[in-house]
Amino acid sequence: MQLQSGIEAIRANGVKLYALSYDEPDALRDFRDVYGIDYTFLSDPDSEVIRQFGVLNTLILEDDHPWHGIPFPGTYVIDTDGVITHKFFENNLALRVGPDVLLRAIGGESQESIAADAELPDDAGPLEPEVYLEGGRLATGVMCDLVAAFDVPEGRHLYAQPAPEGMVSVDLTVDDNPGLVVKNIQRPESEPHQLEGTDEVFQVHHGRVELRLPVTVNSGMVKQATHGAVQISGQVVWQACDDAVCDVPQKRRFELSVPMAAATPPGMLAPKDYDGISANEAAHFQKMRERRNRS
Amino acid sequence: MEIQTHGEQTENGWWRDVDGFVGPIQPGLGPRTDPMGEFPTGPDIGSRLPDVRAMDVDGNPFDLHRDRGAAPAIVVFFRSAVW
Repeated sequence: MQLQSGIEAIRANGVKLYALSYDEPDALRDFRDVYGIDYTFLSDPDSEVIRQFGVLNTLILEDDHPWHGIPFPGTYVIDTDGVITHKFFENNLALRVGPDVLLRAIGGESQESIAADAELPDDAGPLEPEVYLEGGRLATGVMCDLVAAFDVPEGRHLYAQPAPEGMVSVDLTVDDNPGLVVKNIQRPESEPHQLEGTDEVFQVHHGRVELRLPVTVNSGMVKQATHGAVQISGQVVWQACDDAVCDVPQKRRFELSVPMAAATPPGMLAPKDYDGISANEAAHFQKMRERRNRS
Repeated sequence: MEIQTHGEQTENGWWRDVDGFVGPIQPGLGPRTDPMGEFPTGPDIGSRLPDVRAMDVDGNPFDLHRDRGAAPAIVVFFRSAVW
């Protein structure tokens, strides 16, 4: 569903898009039609492909109808030869990779982003992070990267983790927010750096430095968030040096107001007062349940 | 492989899981059965995607590699369109 919004850019890269589940064909057809999705749905009602791939969720026992048969959800990116170049799996059924991450995986460059409206002091130094949410919008459960990016000039570096004693390593954090789910930060590879004239070695970042914090909107908050925007606030800290001099550690607060994309289809777990469109989920669910109880 | 069962009950009787998602079902049960730690993610990066022979939305047989020809592709395994 969330991929539909990124499909133009994905198509522009000549990439085909398939989505497979254990639903019956007609359930997928209703879903496709109601939500206006034009990529290819595949039905695997006996979970044969899911089993062949080895991704059946075996924690759900066989007699636990109708939940048994679902995969550990995930996404593969394959090249022209059909060879897997990337894969994305999350250990929470509510989470999935966002279209912008996939675009990056297939080498697409047409990513929109919104810049942070962070207030920077007038005397801001030459080195300032750009903070933005990749894709510029959030949808429930769809992971998007909150990015803090630096372009570190030649001859300078940022301290990476772990920083030498008394120094500050570059970091990106968001403030506590019950409407937001935040996963583990992804840091670029760091390089060892030896201070001239000493044998002290520590880890640093050079050049383009991007810290990525995967975030998404809490599904339990969908009702409140659907019609508005999500506020993401937090801070970036860093310390830049060259071989001779270290700047004082810097801290920059940011606050982003991120629009919510159309809500993910509620399915059977929608709030009771959900008043959006529906793809006959309840009828299909009942049918699935009956078929599974028979078999 | 173990099941992630950690959850806190919210004021309205729903459950908040380790990632902060709030829903009506307790983590570890039925549709909220998530793995804790490592879990299988299928064929490895660098290997050919195995054959995917399933049905299209009209119930006709569908062969993914045949359909894509020589195009690169994104293949999503998702939970369900129904729940």
